[in-house]
Amino acid sequence: MGTIVEGKGLSKSFGGLTAVKKIDFYLEEGEIVGLIGPNGAGKTTLFNLVSGIFHPDEGKLFLNGRDITELRPFEICRLGIGRTFQIVRPFLKMSCLENVMVGIIGRNDRNRGRAEIGREAEDLLKFVGLDGFEGTIAGNLTLIQKKRLEMARALATEPRAILLDEVLAGLNPSEILQALALIETIRSKLKMTIFWIEHVMGAIMKASDRIIVLDQGEKIKEGKPEEIVSDPRVIGAYLGETDA
Amino acid sequence: MNVKKFWIPVVFIILAIFPPFFLSQYWLHVMIISLFYVMMASSWNLIAGFTGQVSFAHAAFSGIGAYVSGMLAVYLGLSPWLGILVGMGVAALLGLGLGYLCIRMGGIYLSLTTLGFSEILRIIITNEDRWTRGTMGLQVPGFFTEYSKASYYYLFLIIAILLLIVIYWIIHSEMGLTFRAVLNDELAASSSGINTIQVRILAFTISSAMAGLAGGLYGHYLMLITPDIPSLGQMFLVLAMAVIGGMGSFVGPILGSFLLEILSEYIRIYGEYHVLIFGLVALSVARFAPEGVIGILGKKWESVWAR
Amino acid sequence: MSEFLMYLTNGIVMGVIHAISAIGVSLIVGIMKVVNFAHGELYIFAGYFSYHLSISLGVPPLLAMPLSVFFIFLVGIGMERTLIRPTYGDEMYSLIITFVLSIVLQNAALLIFGPYPNKPPNLISGATNIFGLYHYGNQRLLSFFISIGILVFIFYLIKKTWFGKSIRAVSQDRGMASLVGVDHYRVNMLSFGLGAALAGTAGVVIAPIFPVTPTGSSAISLTAFVVVVLGGMGSLKGCVVGGLILGMMENLGAAYISTMYRQIFGFIILILVLVFRPWGLFGQKTQ
Repeated sequence: MGTIVEGKGLSKSFGGLTAVKKIDFYLEEGEIVGLIGPNGAGKTTLFNLVSGIFHPDEGKLFLNGRDITELRPFEICRLGIGRTFQIVRPFLKMSCLENVMVGIIGRNDRNRGRAEIGREAEDLLKFVGLDGFEGTIAGNLTLIQKKRLEMARALATEPRAILLDEVLAGLNPSEILQALALIETIRSKLKMTIFWIEHVMGAIMKASDRIIVLDQGEKIKEGKPEEIVSDPRVIGAYLGETDA
Repeated sequence: MNVKKFWIPVVFIILAIFPPFFLSQYWLHVMIISLFYVMMASSWNLIAGFTGQVSFAHAAFSGIGAYVSGMLAVYLGLSPWLGILVGMGVAALLGLGLGYLCIRMGGIYLSLTTLGFSEILRIIITNEDRWTRGTMGLQVPGFFTEYSKASYYYLFLIIAILLLIVIYWIIHSEMGLTFRAVLNDELAASSSGINTIQVRILAFTISSAMAGLAGGLYGHYLMLITPDIPSLGQMFLVLAMAVIGGMGSFVGPILGSFLLEILSEYIRIYGEYHVLIFGLVALSVARFAPEGVIGILGKKWESVWAR
Repeated sequence: MSEFLMYLTNGIVMGVIHAISAIGVSLIVGIMKVVNFAHGELYIFAGYFSYHLSISLGVPPLLAMPLSVFFIFLVGIGMERTLIRPTYGDEMYSLIITFVLSIVLQNAALLIFGPYPNKPPNLISGATNIFGLYHYGNQRLLSFFISIGILVFIFYLIKKTWFGKSIRAVSQDRGMASLVGVDHYRVNMLSFGLGAALAGTAGVVIAPIFPVTPTGSSAISLTAFVVVVLGGMGSLKGCVVGGLILGMMENLGAAYISTMYRQIFGFIILILVLVFRPWGLFGQKTQ
């Protein structure tokens, strides 16, 4: 197994505020890596850097050894990094099927008829458990359904690595179990690398191979879940946070 | 496409064959002008309603089409049939250039620059009267050797229908999906692999080319081209037709064009007031019923069907 | 030589007035991401108000000016409350609504004030000899000094006062601003009013020099837009520098190249900026 995504010395600040400071990380092929940290630790900023929404002030990003630091989001997506958003962003005025079809078109591999794209989108909706909602306008879905739809759209771009930003937030325990099963299937069946941010500690500890902990923009710890829970700095970072 | 959806336009097209048999020359003229506005408002809707970009140069591009084709005919003796295609090409190229320059900076820049472009074009046309005859207007030849309103009506009808078929095909194609994705959420579209800037430039170029074609037709029908064609007043009318009819729907701008053009014949007696009236109506529609007349009718129909 | 200096002075006087007008646009773009296409019409209306207040109603010109500006401020607030506020977050509708509004106001101005240029009375007459080089109209000098005073006031308002701080907070991060207790609805409303008032200020300051006409409004809006893009969206300093550059280019260009194409210099600048430095002189390159 080789390294698929790698970040070296990534820094990003907004105005005077440093959101991410000299972060090194890597994702191995087929790995599930969790990204945790208190609010404002820079987790979503790191995702935005990796997916090209922001460009780092310093540092480099690599995908399969290729420098992707200055690429735009659609280029990074086409090269194989998909993502979902913390605050869901499906195309609200389009049907579920159309939402997923956009992801398929986003791959930019031509020679595919509209009918074929439609069939593939149906399969993906079925895969995330949204069969029967093909014609439903995305704006009318519940939160969990929107999250699934976003996941289907991200999967439709055929990523090698997928970034999931708080896909479990707001779900009830049984929904969390379903979502975890889905994530496991994505890894085992689709052989994708998963990088995810989560506040639901039990879930992320159970399902991740490795955890990266951020606090105030810096990486304070990285390791197997069992090493993380016992680390005094990690505990400190969380206890120091009042609204955790 | 289901059977009903297929038959409705066919019925309309068949009905559209008959007007020259019973309409007066005057009302036939109104119909021809309406068809011109159908082309303008529908192609403007393609960028505004389907990608969310507001171009204020749509009338300017129709002026480009009219003047390029008209001047080629007057000074080089080129046939209007070829001239309108050249005019459309020039409009497309200018659209591509302007779009390339400002679209990467965001929608606000496109609106500002296109507004500037319209004004500058009007000033150049007015001042370079050696070539354009300025506000006096440039006399250009028509399409047919024998002038007949009926032939112009059928010409405009056929081209309007072809244009609408192309627009329908675009909005229902993969390209149309990417247009709507950009309209819905540009960031999410970009993160789903869509080259949003390319999509927006493409939409702007196609729409500008269509305006160029419509303008060329219009010029050779009027046979007198004036700076009123690329004016902001004309731009406002096109915008009002799309907004009042219903932006983002295929039928809305078609409905809006006929509605406003026919209505303006009735309120023309009030002189300058008719722009003011349309302005106030467009303002209230944009504020209170952003989906336009089509949106209001749609809701009515839905509630009737639900009963 | 003195002729050149004269055109240059005209350019600087116009540049300062351009700056005031452009700050009116820039403030609204920076805070609300809304472009007010009816900017030129507000400018024209203020000019007409000051004309009619002083000529038709006999109000002293020095009082008629601030009264007209205040009236335009109220109009701006009314616009924001009724038309702009519902469009927040929908850039397309705000562009459409302000454009339609500009057409409506332009036609309303034609009906109310007629198509003829109107010029309020001069506040002062005569001319002053500048450094023994050339004579310059006192009215123009007065307009210049009033404009400088207004610019200083705007900078003070935005850099030093609580209102200015709220404005900057909202323009940087709406969510954060509301967390620290800034009511962004109020800030938006007041900034839109202020932006309108600045359009009005430019209008009343310039009206005694260049009479206003209803058909001149789109050129006024465009000038302000060019200055904003040249200076960089949302930058106050950019508006001042951009206004001066455009003012001088227009006047020197009109004098030495062609009067008919005064407007075109602005558009050429706009295109050059978009080609070489699309974020403007003082704007921030995003990302």
